[in-house]
Amino acid sequence: MNDKAAIHFEGARVVYPNGAVGLAGIDLTIKPGEFVVVVGSSGAGKSTLLRSVNGLTPLTSGRITVGGQPVPKQEGRELRRLRAGVGMIFQDFRITRRLSVMTNVLVGRVAHVPGWRAMLNLWPAADREIAFKALERVSIADKAWVRAGDLSGGQQQRVGIARALAQEPAIILADEPVASLDPVTTHQIMRDLVRINQDLGITTLVNLHFLDLARRYGQRIIGLKAGELVYDGTADSVTGEDFKNIYGRDPDAGDVLDASVAS
Amino acid sequence: MSEVSDAPPTRPLRPARNWALIIGAVGAVTLMTWWSARGIGFSVVELACNLPGGRRLLVESWPPDWSFFPRLLAPLLETLQIAVIGTVIGGILAIPIAVLAARNLTPGFLVWFVDRNFMNILRTLPDLFWAMLFAAAVGFGPIAGALALTVFTIAVISKLWSESLEAIDMAVPEAVRAAGGSWLAMLQFGAIPQALPHYVSYALYAFELNVRASMILGLVGAGGIGMVLETQRSTFEYPRVTLIVLSVLVLVLIIEQISESIRRRLV
Repeated sequence: MNDKAAIHFEGARVVYPNGAVGLAGIDLTIKPGEFVVVVGSSGAGKSTLLRSVNGLTPLTSGRITVGGQPVPKQEGRELRRLRAGVGMIFQDFRITRRLSVMTNVLVGRVAHVPGWRAMLNLWPAADREIAFKALERVSIADKAWVRAGDLSGGQQQRVGIARALAQEPAIILADEPVASLDPVTTHQIMRDLVRINQDLGITTLVNLHFLDLARRYGQRIIGLKAGELVYDGTADSVTGEDFKNIYGRDPDAGDVLDASVAS
Repeated sequence: MSEVSDAPPTRPLRPARNWALIIGAVGAVTLMTWWSARGIGFSVVELACNLPGGRRLLVESWPPDWSFFPRLLAPLLETLQIAVIGTVIGGILAIPIAVLAARNLTPGFLVWFVDRNFMNILRTLPDLFWAMLFAAAVGFGPIAGALALTVFTIAVISKLWSESLEAIDMAVPEAVRAAGGSWLAMLQFGAIPQALPHYVSYALYAFELNVRASMILGLVGAGGIGMVLETQRSTFEYPRVTLIVLSVLVLVLIIEQISESIRRRLV
């Protein structure tokens, strides 16, 4: 695995303007190719952790390196170059509903082609090929020219995944990627993410709310509570006691996607 | 009622109305209206007394002089052409001006500040002023009219559209930035598509305004139907004036019908 896909957090701390603590000084190393699931109750800092990796949320203090390069704290060419190699997937998909699926996926190529080409929609054939390959990987190549807003929720999230893949990223950040989907679609999307991680070796960080999903799909599980790292271990070894510690209470039916599977 | 009082104490109460604000606002508007009416000598009694004068004008203007219609066709067409040029050129120039004036999209405070004030100046100066200015520069005629309407179109579209752009959902533009996209890419793929239907409806609206405005602009020699209107009015040919007003009304109604059907298809 290449080193570009490693992430180091050193004393990473985020305090929001309103005084809320997003990250309370995190030290953490993510190795290339790992599939890491981040769990914690809402407000625990899961989103902040992911968003600090590509600089969408800048650190207040401490530092993060991606592939050995520190994440710049200001917008600019350096940060754009870093983001080009880090794909992001969002809970609310964040695709432009009025544009075609293909155009949305090509957005994943904007950092890789000259600006005038993107502007005139004259994408090089090689980039179109990458976009198509990305759509094929999530099995929606047949929808390439459909308006993105006309797709179902699960299909829209696949467009989001294909856009991230089109970046040919070393890292994928998925911020609650299944929180707006039904259970069946949820499992399909999670399997897509795991398969992509295994096939392409892309380091993957996924925020999840549901414990059973975390245990089922995660290799390594990281638990956050009030911005602090309170659990770090393999998915096989995580216990109910650990979850109790992460959530500050006993897990209940609301914390699992499929209550009948909960142990 | 007892059910309400039995509610758990955690249920928040509906906040009380701010009566001071309501009374203050109503009072301020009433006061301003009264002050303005006094200032211009607006009086309902006088208005009623002078109605016969208006009636005389209307009677003299009816029926329209239909025989004059063939001589209206060429100027009407010219009006339409002036409006088309003004809307297209102004509509294109309004795009960057609106984007830079949108607080959420502008690249920097200074650019925003300069652009905002530029827009305000364009809007504050009336279209008649621009028509006279351009008439002095390029001579009386349709070119001056088209240039004046270009400025007018920029003023209308950039103001309205920059506000639509400020109201878009910034989540998608953030996703484009997360993919390493530049400012231009963020605009093109995240921001502008969201506000595109607004742009089209403002452009169509500006076109409609321009057809109407070109009638007024003719008064200062900026070409089109307005120039014919001014000649006929100054020679007291009221039946012809009626025909001119009716023909512009029909033209505007036709444009309104067409733009409505375009808008319906777009949204």
